[in-house]
Amino acid sequence: MNPPEEKDPIDTRLREQDTYINDDGFTARVVAALPPRRRTWLRPVLLLGSAAVGTVLAIQWLPWSNLPPLDISALLSLNSQVLSPWFVVLSVTASLMWAVVAAIQWED
Amino acid sequence: MTDADLIARVLTREDQHAFAELVRRYQSPVRAFLTRMARGDAHLGDDLAQETFLKAWRKLHTYRGSAPFSTWLFGIAFNEFRTVARQRKELTLDDIDELPVEATQPPADSRSGLRLDLTEALKRLHSNERAAVLLCCQNGLSHEEAAEALDCPLGTVKTHVLRGKEKLKRWLSGYQHYESA
Repeated sequence: MNPPEEKDPIDTRLREQDTYINDDGFTARVVAALPPRRRTWLRPVLLLGSAAVGTVLAIQWLPWSNLPPLDISALLSLNSQVLSPWFVVLSVTASLMWAVVAAIQWED
Repeated sequence: MTDADLIARVLTREDQHAFAELVRRYQSPVRAFLTRMARGDAHLGDDLAQETFLKAWRKLHTYRGSAPFSTWLFGIAFNEFRTVARQRKELTLDDIDELPVEATQPPADSRSGLRLDLTEALKRLHSNERAAVLLCCQNGLSHEEAAEALDCPLGTVKTHVLRGKEKLKRWLSGYQHYESA
Protein backbone atom coordinates (compact mmCIF):
# COMPACT_ATOMS: atom_id res chain seq x y z
CA MET A 1 0.00 0.00 0.00
CA ASN A 2 1.06 3.57 -0.50
CA PRO A 3 2.07 5.59 2.53
CA PRO A 4 -1.12 7.18 3.87
CA GLU A 5 -1.49 10.83 3.00
CA GLU A 6 -3.38 11.94 6.05
CA LYS A 7 -5.95 14.73 6.01
CA ASP A 8 -5.95 14.97 2.22
CA PRO A 9 -9.57 15.74 1.33
CA ILE A 10 -9.00 14.56 -2.24
CA ASP A 11 -8.06 11.07 -1.05
CA THR A 12 -10.88 11.06 1.47
CA ARG A 13 -13.46 12.11 -1.11
CA LEU A 14 -12.19 9.64 -3.67
CA ARG A 15 -12.57 6.81 -1.18
CA GLU A 16 -16.02 8.05 -0.19
CA GLN A 17 -17.05 7.97 -3.84
CA ASP A 18 -15.99 4.35 -4.08
CA THR A 19 -19.46 2.95 -3.40
CA TYR A 20 -20.44 -0.64 -4.18
CA ILE A 21 -22.17 -1.19 -7.51
CA ASN A 22 -24.92 -3.81 -7.31
CA ASP A 23 -24.49 -6.73 -9.66
CA ASP A 24 -27.98 -6.34 -11.25
CA GLY A 25 -27.48 -9.24 -13.62
CA PHE A 26 -23.99 -8.21 -14.76
CA THR A 27 -22.39 -11.51 -13.75
CA ALA A 28 -25.12 -13.48 -15.52
CA ARG A 29 -24.55 -11.48 -18.71
CA VAL A 30 -20.82 -12.13 -18.57
CA VAL A 31 -21.28 -15.87 -18.00
CA ALA A 32 -23.84 -16.06 -20.81
CA ALA A 33 -21.31 -14.46 -23.16
CA LEU A 34 -18.52 -16.92 -22.32
CA PRO A 35 -17.46 -19.15 -25.21
CA PRO A 36 -18.72 -22.75 -25.08
CA ARG A 37 -16.56 -25.12 -23.12
CA ARG A 38 -14.12 -27.18 -25.09
CA ARG A 39 -14.54 -30.95 -25.17
CA THR A 40 -15.52 -31.39 -21.54
CA TRP A 41 -16.87 -34.80 -22.57
CA LEU A 42 -13.47 -36.06 -23.72
CA ARG A 43 -11.97 -37.06 -20.38
CA PRO A 44 -14.93 -39.08 -19.05
CA VAL A 45 -15.32 -40.76 -22.44
CA LEU A 46 -11.64 -41.71 -22.45
CA LEU A 47 -11.97 -43.00 -18.89
CA LEU A 48 -15.07 -45.04 -19.72
CA GLY A 49 -13.50 -46.39 -22.92
CA SER A 50 -10.37 -47.41 -21.05
CA ALA A 51 -12.50 -49.16 -18.45
CA ALA A 52 -14.40 -51.03 -21.17
CA VAL A 53 -11.17 -52.16 -22.84
CA GLY A 54 -9.77 -53.15 -19.47
CA THR A 55 -12.88 -55.20 -18.72
CA VAL A 56 -12.62 -57.06 -22.03
CA LEU A 57 -8.94 -57.80 -21.43
CA ALA A 58 -9.62 -58.89 -17.87
CA ILE A 59 -12.33 -61.29 -19.00
CA GLN A 60 -10.05 -62.60 -21.72
CA TRP A 61 -6.85 -63.02 -19.77
CA LEU A 62 -7.59 -63.53 -16.13
CA PRO A 63 -7.70 -67.23 -15.05
CA TRP A 64 -11.35 -67.17 -14.02
CA SER A 65 -11.81 -70.97 -14.42
CA ASN A 66 -8.54 -71.82 -12.71
CA LEU A 67 -9.00 -69.76 -9.59
CA PRO A 68 -8.22 -71.86 -6.51
CA PRO A 69 -11.11 -72.38 -4.11
CA LEU A 70 -11.19 -69.71 -1.46
CA ASP A 71 -12.15 -70.93 2.00
CA ILE A 72 -11.62 -69.88 5.57
CA SER A 73 -8.63 -72.13 6.10
CA ALA A 74 -6.86 -70.71 3.04
CA LEU A 75 -7.54 -67.18 4.25
CA LEU A 76 -6.30 -67.92 7.77
CA SER A 77 -3.21 -69.72 6.61
CA LEU A 78 -2.35 -66.80 4.27
CA ASN A 79 -1.48 -69.31 1.58
CA SER A 80 0.06 -67.19 -1.18
CA GLN A 81 -0.68 -69.76 -3.88
CA VAL A 82 -4.38 -69.40 -3.14
CA LEU A 83 -4.53 -65.70 -2.27
CA SER A 84 -2.33 -64.26 -5.04
CA PRO A 85 -4.66 -65.00 -7.99
CA TRP A 86 -7.62 -63.72 -6.01
CA PHE A 87 -5.72 -60.57 -5.09
CA VAL A 88 -5.01 -59.90 -8.78
CA VAL A 89 -8.62 -60.49 -9.76
CA LEU A 90 -9.97 -58.26 -6.99
CA SER A 91 -7.47 -55.48 -7.79
CA VAL A 92 -8.36 -55.46 -11.48
CA THR A 93 -12.09 -55.56 -10.74
CA ALA A 94 -11.84 -52.73 -8.19
CA SER A 95 -9.81 -50.57 -10.61
CA LEU A 96 -12.34 -51.06 -13.38
CA MET A 97 -15.24 -50.26 -11.07
CA TRP A 98 -13.49 -47.11 -9.88
CA ALA A 99 -12.92 -45.99 -13.47
CA VAL A 100 -16.59 -46.53 -14.34
CA VAL A 101 -17.82 -44.65 -11.28
CA ALA A 102 -15.36 -41.80 -11.89
CA ALA A 103 -16.47 -41.49 -15.52
CA ILE A 104 -20.15 -41.44 -14.56
CA GLN A 105 -19.68 -38.90 -11.80
CA TRP A 106 -17.37 -36.63 -13.81
CA GLU A 107 -18.13 -33.06 -12.80
CA ASP A 108 -18.56 -30.52 -15.56
CA MET B 1 -12.91 -20.22 -1.35
CA THR B 2 -9.91 -18.05 -2.22
CA ASP B 3 -9.28 -16.38 -5.57
CA ALA B 4 -6.47 -18.87 -6.18
CA ASP B 5 -8.86 -21.82 -5.61
CA LEU B 6 -11.41 -20.37 -8.00
CA ILE B 7 -8.76 -19.65 -10.64
CA ALA B 8 -7.45 -23.21 -10.34
CA ARG B 9 -10.97 -24.58 -10.89
CA VAL B 10 -11.42 -22.40 -13.96
CA LEU B 11 -8.08 -23.48 -15.41
CA THR B 12 -8.43 -27.19 -14.76
CA ARG B 13 -12.14 -27.67 -15.48
CA GLU B 14 -13.25 -24.53 -17.28
CA ASP B 15 -15.60 -24.17 -14.33
CA GLN B 16 -17.99 -21.35 -15.19
CA HIS B 17 -19.46 -21.31 -11.68
CA ALA B 18 -16.02 -20.56 -10.26
CA PHE B 19 -15.49 -17.83 -12.84
CA ALA B 20 -18.89 -16.35 -12.05
CA GLU B 21 -17.83 -16.07 -8.41
CA LEU B 22 -14.70 -14.18 -9.48
CA VAL B 23 -16.85 -11.83 -11.57
CA ARG B 24 -19.19 -11.25 -8.62
CA ARG B 25 -16.25 -10.37 -6.39
CA TYR B 26 -14.67 -7.85 -8.74
CA GLN B 27 -17.50 -6.50 -10.88
CA SER B 28 -18.06 -3.46 -8.69
CA PRO B 29 -14.51 -2.01 -8.65
CA VAL B 30 -13.92 -2.85 -12.31
CA ARG B 31 -17.21 -1.32 -13.48
CA ALA B 32 -16.69 1.76 -11.31
CA PHE B 33 -13.14 2.21 -12.60
CA LEU B 34 -14.17 1.89 -16.24
CA THR B 35 -17.21 4.14 -15.85
CA ARG B 36 -14.95 6.86 -14.43
CA MET B 37 -12.39 6.24 -17.16
CA ALA B 38 -15.24 6.64 -19.68
CA ARG B 39 -16.02 10.03 -18.17
CA GLY B 40 -19.15 8.86 -16.41
CA ASP B 41 -20.68 6.86 -19.26
CA ALA B 42 -22.03 3.89 -17.27
CA HIS B 43 -23.19 2.00 -20.37
CA LEU B 44 -19.79 2.21 -21.96
CA GLY B 45 -18.21 1.36 -18.62
CA ASP B 46 -20.33 -1.80 -18.36
CA ASP B 47 -19.57 -2.80 -21.95
CA LEU B 48 -15.86 -2.40 -21.29
CA ALA B 49 -16.17 -4.29 -18.01
CA GLN B 50 -17.91 -7.18 -19.78
CA GLU B 51 -15.13 -7.28 -22.39
CA THR B 52 -12.60 -7.15 -19.56
CA PHE B 53 -14.03 -10.25 -17.89
CA LEU B 54 -14.40 -12.11 -21.18
CA LYS B 55 -10.77 -11.38 -21.96
CA ALA B 56 -9.84 -12.45 -18.43
CA TRP B 57 -11.56 -15.79 -19.10
CA ARG B 58 -9.55 -16.30 -22.29
CA LYS B 59 -6.24 -15.14 -20.83
CA LEU B 60 -6.51 -16.59 -17.33
CA HIS B 61 -3.75 -19.11 -18.05
CA THR B 62 -1.34 -16.16 -18.36
CA TYR B 63 -2.06 -14.94 -14.81
CA ARG B 64 1.02 -15.85 -12.77
CA GLY B 65 -0.22 -14.85 -9.33
CA SER B 66 2.71 -12.51 -8.67
CA ALA B 67 0.27 -9.62 -8.13
CA PRO B 68 -3.26 -9.63 -6.70
CA PHE B 69 -5.93 -10.82 -9.12
CA SER B 70 -7.55 -7.37 -8.97
CA THR B 71 -4.33 -5.75 -10.24
CA TRP B 72 -4.28 -8.13 -13.18
CA LEU B 73 -7.95 -7.37 -13.91
CA PHE B 74 -7.40 -3.60 -13.74
CA GLY B 75 -4.59 -4.05 -16.26
CA ILE B 76 -6.94 -5.74 -18.72
CA ALA B 77 -9.60 -3.12 -17.99
CA PHE B 78 -7.24 -0.24 -18.74
CA ASN B 79 -6.16 -1.89 -22.00
CA GLU B 80 -9.81 -2.27 -22.99
CA PHE B 81 -10.35 1.40 -22.26
CA ARG B 82 -7.29 2.41 -24.31
CA THR B 83 -8.46 0.33 -27.26
CA VAL B 84 -11.87 2.03 -27.30
CA ALA B 85 -10.42 5.45 -26.54
CA ARG B 86 -8.34 5.28 -29.73
CA GLN B 87 -11.58 5.03 -31.71
CA ARG B 88 -13.70 7.51 -29.76
CA LYS B 89 -12.47 11.05 -29.80
CA GLU B 90 -14.59 12.20 -26.89
CA LEU B 91 -12.61 9.85 -24.65
CA THR B 92 -9.27 11.11 -25.90
CA LEU B 93 -9.86 14.80 -25.26
CA ASP B 94 -7.16 14.72 -22.64
CA ASP B 95 -5.51 17.49 -20.74
CA ILE B 96 -8.28 20.02 -21.02
CA ASP B 97 -6.34 22.00 -18.50
CA GLU B 98 -7.38 25.29 -19.98
CA LEU B 99 -11.11 24.97 -19.34
CA PRO B 100 -12.37 27.83 -17.22
CA VAL B 101 -12.56 26.96 -13.56
CA GLU B 102 -16.04 28.42 -13.44
CA ALA B 103 -17.22 25.46 -15.50
CA THR B 104 -16.96 23.30 -12.44
CA GLN B 105 -17.96 25.83 -9.82
CA PRO B 106 -19.72 24.02 -6.94
CA PRO B 107 -22.33 25.43 -4.63
CA ALA B 108 -20.61 27.61 -2.04
CA ASP B 109 -19.05 25.77 0.92
CA SER B 110 -20.93 22.59 0.17
CA ARG B 111 -19.37 19.18 0.86
CA SER B 112 -21.72 17.56 -1.62
CA GLY B 113 -20.75 20.31 -4.02
CA LEU B 114 -17.13 19.32 -3.54
CA ARG B 115 -18.01 15.72 -4.29
CA LEU B 116 -19.82 16.64 -7.50
CA ASP B 117 -16.98 18.89 -8.41
CA LEU B 118 -14.48 16.12 -7.82
CA THR B 119 -16.44 13.87 -10.20
CA GLU B 120 -16.37 16.54 -12.88
CA ALA B 121 -12.74 17.37 -12.22
CA LEU B 122 -11.76 13.71 -12.60
CA LYS B 123 -13.29 13.73 -16.08
CA ARG B 124 -10.94 16.54 -17.06
CA LEU B 125 -7.76 14.72 -16.09
CA HIS B 126 -5.52 13.15 -18.72
CA SER B 127 -6.60 9.52 -18.96
CA ASN B 128 -3.25 8.21 -17.69
CA GLU B 129 -3.40 10.54 -14.69
CA ARG B 130 -7.05 9.66 -14.08
CA ALA B 131 -6.25 5.96 -14.15
CA ALA B 132 -3.31 6.36 -11.77
CA VAL B 133 -5.29 8.51 -9.34
CA LEU B 134 -8.28 6.15 -9.40
CA LEU B 135 -6.20 3.02 -8.91
CA CYS B 136 -3.93 4.40 -6.17
CA CYS B 137 -6.18 6.82 -4.30
CA GLN B 138 -9.57 5.15 -4.74
CA ASN B 139 -8.92 1.44 -5.20
CA GLY B 140 -5.99 1.25 -2.80
CA LEU B 141 -3.40 -0.18 -5.19
CA SER B 142 0.23 0.47 -4.35
CA HIS B 143 2.26 2.47 -6.82
CA GLU B 144 4.01 -0.75 -7.83
CA GLU B 145 0.70 -2.53 -8.45
CA ALA B 146 -0.64 0.42 -10.41
CA ALA B 147 2.54 0.46 -12.51
CA GLU B 148 1.97 -3.20 -13.34
CA ALA B 149 -1.71 -2.65 -14.13
CA LEU B 150 -1.01 0.38 -16.31
CA ASP B 151 2.07 -1.22 -17.85
CA CYS B 152 4.29 1.78 -17.25
CA PRO B 153 7.35 2.56 -15.10
CA LEU B 154 6.93 3.10 -11.37
CA GLY B 155 8.24 6.67 -11.58
CA THR B 156 5.69 7.51 -14.25
CA VAL B 157 2.84 6.30 -12.06
CA LYS B 158 4.09 8.38 -9.13
CA THR B 159 4.29 11.41 -11.40
CA HIS B 160 0.79 10.78 -12.77
CA VAL B 161 -0.66 10.51 -9.25
CA LEU B 162 1.16 13.63 -8.08
CA ARG B 163 0.23 15.73 -11.10
CA GLY B 164 -3.31 14.40 -11.16
CA LYS B 165 -3.91 15.32 -7.56
CA GLU B 166 -2.31 18.73 -8.03
CA LYS B 167 -4.65 19.43 -10.92
CA LEU B 168 -7.67 18.24 -8.94
CA LYS B 169 -6.75 20.53 -6.08
CA ARG B 170 -6.23 23.44 -8.42
CA TRP B 171 -9.52 22.88 -10.22
CA LEU B 172 -11.66 22.31 -7.21
CA SER B 173 -13.09 25.64 -6.36
CA GLY B 174 -14.03 25.74 -2.74
CA TYR B 175 -11.24 23.32 -1.97
CA GLN B 176 -9.34 25.77 0.19
CA HIS B 177 -12.54 26.64 1.96
CA TYR B 178 -13.28 22.97 2.64
CA GLU B 179 -9.72 22.29 3.71
CA SER B 180 -9.75 25.05 6.26
CA ALA B 181 -13.21 24.10 7.55
